[in-house]
Amino acid sequence: MNQSKQEIYHDQVVARLIQFSVVWVLIAMLVGVYVAAEFIWPQLDFGQFWLSFGRLRPLHTNGIIFGFGVSALMGTAFYSVQRTSHVPLFMPGLAWFCCYAWQLTVLLGALSLLGGWTSTKEYAELEWPFDIAITIIWICFGIVFFGTIARRRIRPIYISNWFFGGLIIVIAMLHIVNNLAIPVSLGKSYSLYAGAQDAVVQWWYGHNAVGFLLTGGFLGMMYYFLPKLSGQPIWSYRLSVISFWAFTYSYIWAGPHHLHYNSIPEWVQSLGMVMSLVLLAPSWATMINGIMTVSKASDKLRTDPALKFMVLSLAFYGLATFEGPMMAIRSVNIVSHFTDWTIGHVHSGALGWNAMITYGTFYFLVPKLAGRELYSSRLANLHFWLALAGTMLYILSMWAAGVSQGLLWLSIDEYGQLSFSFREIMAAMSSYYGLRLIAGLIFFSGTIMMSWNLFMTLRGQQIAKVTPPPVPEKYRIKPNTDPGADHTGTELPA
Amino acid sequence: MHAVSVINALLKPETVFRGIAGGSDEVSAPLHLITPFILLIPPVFVWLGSDLFGWRMGTNEPIFLDSTARIIISFCYFSVLCVGYFSTVFIANWMGNTYGAHKPLSTYFNFFTVVYLPLLVASIAHLYPNAFFNLLVLLPTLIWCMTLLYKGLPIVLEIPPQQGMLMSSSLVGWLLVGAVSILGISVALWTIGLGPAIAV
Repeated sequence: MNQSKQEIYHDQVVARLIQFSVVWVLIAMLVGVYVAAEFIWPQLDFGQFWLSFGRLRPLHTNGIIFGFGVSALMGTAFYSVQRTSHVPLFMPGLAWFCCYAWQLTVLLGALSLLGGWTSTKEYAELEWPFDIAITIIWICFGIVFFGTIARRRIRPIYISNWFFGGLIIVIAMLHIVNNLAIPVSLGKSYSLYAGAQDAVVQWWYGHNAVGFLLTGGFLGMMYYFLPKLSGQPIWSYRLSVISFWAFTYSYIWAGPHHLHYNSIPEWVQSLGMVMSLVLLAPSWATMINGIMTVSKASDKLRTDPALKFMVLSLAFYGLATFEGPMMAIRSVNIVSHFTDWTIGHVHSGALGWNAMITYGTFYFLVPKLAGRELYSSRLANLHFWLALAGTMLYILSMWAAGVSQGLLWLSIDEYGQLSFSFREIMAAMSSYYGLRLIAGLIFFSGTIMMSWNLFMTLRGQQIAKVTPPPVPEKYRIKPNTDPGADHTGTELPA
Repeated sequence: MHAVSVINALLKPETVFRGIAGGSDEVSAPLHLITPFILLIPPVFVWLGSDLFGWRMGTNEPIFLDSTARIIISFCYFSVLCVGYFSTVFIANWMGNTYGAHKPLSTYFNFFTVVYLPLLVASIAHLYPNAFFNLLVLLPTLIWCMTLLYKGLPIVLEIPPQQGMLMSSSLVGWLLVGAVSILGISVALWTIGLGPAIAV
């Protein structure tokens, strides 16, 4: 007990990761808005290669996924694993290394993308030196995370840790396998795989990066912070465990739906489609679990902007996880693929789910870390409505654009010729792209408000020092007294 | 009488909501008569608009469909509106118990007639079936419908506003899923031959 009182959770690293995450979301969203403007005014590249769509687009996606997303996931994983294990972080110095090394890698990676270094693999564009750096940092992340769990004082491993653990293990596997390549220079390598095999491996990676990072990782965030925020236990813990395993087993097979009507075996495409449809069950089980948890704390909805963000994020999670399997059906995919419908789908997940659950978490977590109230709840409430309006406008404009594109691209005349040229169709899309730009600006302005709000909340504050609370006896693990003993230990006698 | 009811429902929705909550026949009876128009008028306007002006997806030439395709598409639209309206009513009735509401089914029918009324007004845009123009009209209309849903539900069901917000959000979730399903089903039907010829 005395030992527990002397220990303090390592929350400075959590606060720093959140700060970096906010910086990255501002940069990457600004790039996203700029790219959206280039769709309407292509001359915005000013004839510079580094301002062209081809270079800015991967900067936008990598900045959001690896800069904003992973920094937020690392921060929240470090925060929650300490609380759910009742011990401070294992090897805190290594946690600081992960924090700064990750930012440096993403920063240099972003510059390399602007400079034209690219492996050409979507969401894995960074070249081999960065792939090696990412692997090393990711392994360090795993050592800190699993080391903390191994030293835990409480017997159960809480469900959020299963999701964060899944994120660390599966992303390591996907990243290493997909990026196996033969380097020919510092800035260029060639994939070890060729042709259709390369495509299958790439989309095994690509889809599961969405699955285990943008879905599983953020579910870990949801499973820890939603009960904390609502003051209610998870509605059904058993359902959360079942959905974790169902999610893990089914997601890994769904990648081939990105390659419908391509030169891969038809049975592989069909398998990808069927497993995508199966995925709906664990996804919706999680959504129902989250909504039922909040429904017991409805009185907090009026006053707590963080909870509003989380409730809305669950609704968009439900939408995106329904839309994805539907778009994986081959007769739907033939129209939706290569259209802006896909962009709308991705952003219903990225803005509606990932960004909103993270914003809700930050609005809860930053005041806790600062040990004071949020600087402005009114600003946070305004941010909520801007985020909702921006996301809805984005999705609706891209749905309309996507269906129009699908219709026009596949239209044939009485001679069997395509009725419309590509150029003609793209020219017709400029109005929708205008709406998308407005949607992006609305969402981005809300994000700027949040950044200001969080900055003012943290400004001049020391990070609050928190000690691990005592563990209820029936859940307690025997403290480690023997240096050579197994850290997982055994239960103390009652 | 009906015109006055429609105008009241659009301009003074809170008064109408309170009337529905109180089970007032004076409020409910005209709403029952408006419901068929909400379901019928938009498909009729689609049929007329596509005949007179053709579908405009942003390209120079409008797309004129043959008469059979237009009738089938309008009928499918009517079916979708019926499924959307009735499913929302029944789902809201089912959800009501979870959120502490104990109202008869007719209350939900009346309430969703008022919520969907802006769609009836906005369907005039279908007379000129330009996809972007219709999207522009649809956006404020949806905001209007959502405002009616969020404001009206706690009044009609006589539940706390926080519970009303959660239930409204759940219904919006259902409607979004419904909207995506319509997109998917439309596309799937289209690829099997309903609608203009495509290179599939």
